[in-house]
Amino acid sequence: MNQRGGWALIKSTWLSWMQHRSFFFLLAFMWMIPPLIYLFVWSTAAGGKTIGGFSRGEFVAYYLVLILVNQLTYSQTNWTVGDVIRSGQMNTLLLRPMLPLYDTLASEVAGKVVFMAFMIPVTAALALVLRPEMHVTLRNGLAFVPALGLAWALRFFWGYWLALLAFWATRADALLGLQDSLVFLLAGQVAPTALLPGLMREAATVLPFRYMLGFPVEVLTGQLNTVELWTGFTFQAGWLFVALLLFVTMWRTGVKRYSAVGG
Amino acid sequence: MRYLRLIGSFVRASTQNELAYRANFWISLLYALLNLGTGVLGVVVLFSQVETVRGWDLPATLALLGVYLIIGALRNLFIGPSLNALAGLDGEIWAGKFDFTLLRPVDTQFLASLRYWRPLALVDLVLGLGVLGAAVIRLEQSLTLPRLVAFLVAMGAGVTILYAILLAFTALFLWSPGFLFTWAFDAVFQMARYPVGLYPGWLRLVLTWVIPVGVMTTVPAQALAGGLSAGTLIGSVALAVGLLFGASALFRLGLRRYTSASS
Repeated sequence: MNQRGGWALIKSTWLSWMQHRSFFFLLAFMWMIPPLIYLFVWSTAAGGKTIGGFSRGEFVAYYLVLILVNQLTYSQTNWTVGDVIRSGQMNTLLLRPMLPLYDTLASEVAGKVVFMAFMIPVTAALALVLRPEMHVTLRNGLAFVPALGLAWALRFFWGYWLALLAFWATRADALLGLQDSLVFLLAGQVAPTALLPGLMREAATVLPFRYMLGFPVEVLTGQLNTVELWTGFTFQAGWLFVALLLFVTMWRTGVKRYSAVGG
Repeated sequence: MRYLRLIGSFVRASTQNELAYRANFWISLLYALLNLGTGVLGVVVLFSQVETVRGWDLPATLALLGVYLIIGALRNLFIGPSLNALAGLDGEIWAGKFDFTLLRPVDTQFLASLRYWRPLALVDLVLGLGVLGAAVIRLEQSLTLPRLVAFLVAMGAGVTILYAILLAFTALFLWSPGFLFTWAFDAVFQMARYPVGLYPGWLRLVLTWVIPVGVMTTVPAQALAGGLSAGTLIGSVALAVGLLFGASALFRLGLRRYTSASS
C-alpha cells in the first residue's frame, strides 16, 4: 500500500475519533474498572502482610501497569470488523486499493492515542493516591518493550481471526465475549498468574491469553527470572505465529465467500 | 388493575418479539455462564490465598455475588431494556421518537420503565439464585425467619435504589443527550460484586453515599451472613424511598425540557 494513503487514513480516523472523545473516554473508563476492582480487593486483602510474595504496594503497582497494558493491547476494532462484514460495509473497504486490514490498523492507532490521553493522567492520579511499589531494572525495562509489542500483535490478530468468523456465522461476535472472559480469568486480571490455583495457573502458562496481557506486566514488575522470561517470549512468539496463520487462512477463504448483504 | 393488564401485554409482546430470534437464547446462555464463571472463579481465586478479608469469608462473599447476579438479572429483565430504549445509543430521546411515547394515554414514567422486557434474563436470575442458595448452605449462620425477612426487605431496597439511579440517569440524558450515563453507571455497578468493606475508605464513602451501588448488594448479603444492624437496614430503606422520589421528580422535570429532535 502507498504510505501517504495509509498516513492520511490514520490522520482522518484519529481526527474523527477525537470528535467523539467523551464517548471514548467513557469506554476507557469502563475498561479500567474490572482491573481496578481487583487492585482494591487484593491490596485490601494484603493489608500489612504479603500474599504469595506480593505486598500491598506491589499489588497496586502490578494492577496499575496492567490497566495501562490492558488499554494498549485491547483491540476494540475486533468488535467492529464483524459489524462491517455483517452490515455489508466491507464492500467499500474492499474496493479501496489496499487491504481492509489497514483500515482496522488505522482505527487501532487512532484509538490508542485517544485512550491514552485519558488513561495516562488517570493512572498517574491513581498512583499518587495509592502509592505503588515498583523497582524497574534495566533488563526488565528493556524486555518489557518487545513483550508489550508482541502482546498487542497477538491480541489483535487473535481477535481478528475470531472476528472474521463473521464471514460464516452472523453471531460469531459471541466468541469475542468468550475471549474477553478467558483473558479476564487467565491473563492476570483476576489475580497475577503466580497466585492462580494449580490447574488455572498451568492453563494460563500454556494458553495464549496470558501472553496478550499478563506477561508484559509480569516482565516490567520483575516477577520473572531469566528462564521464565525466555520461556514466556517463546510461547508469545509461537502463539503469535499461530494467530497470524489463522488470520491469513480465515481472510483468504472468508473473503471469497463474502457476498455482501442479502445476496 | 389496568396497569397490571398493561404489564401483562408488555411482557407478552416482548416475549413474542424475542422468540423470533432463537439463536439469541444460546448466546444469552453463553454470556450468562461466562458471567457466572468469571464471578465465581474471581471469588474462589481470592479465597484460595486468604481465609477472610475484613470479616468476609468465602460463603459470605459468594452470597454477595449471588445478590449481585440477581439484581443484575432483574435489571436486565425489565428496567434495563425499557430505560435503554429511551436513553441508550440511538434511544428514543436521541432520535426524537419519544414523541410517540409521550402521546400514549398512560403515565409516562410507568410506560418508560416497564415497556420492554427481556425474558432471557430469567436464565441469569436462575443462575444467581443458584449461587445464592449454594452460598447460604455453606454459611455459618443458619437461615432464620427474621434473617430471611431482613434479606427480602434489603433486596427490595436494593432493587428500588437501582431503579431510582437508572431513572435519574435517564432523566439527565434529557439535559445532556449524547452522554451515555447508563454506561458510566454500568462500570461503577460492577464494583458491587465485592463488599464495600473491601474498598479503601474514600471509595467506600462514594459507593455508599454518592452512587450507592454498594448498598444494593452489601446490605442484603449482610442480612444473610450476619452483621447487619437494624439501623443500616432502616437507613437503606429510607435511602431507597428518598432516591425513588427524587428520581421521579427529576424525570418529570426533565420531561418538560424535551423538545423532540428536529432542529
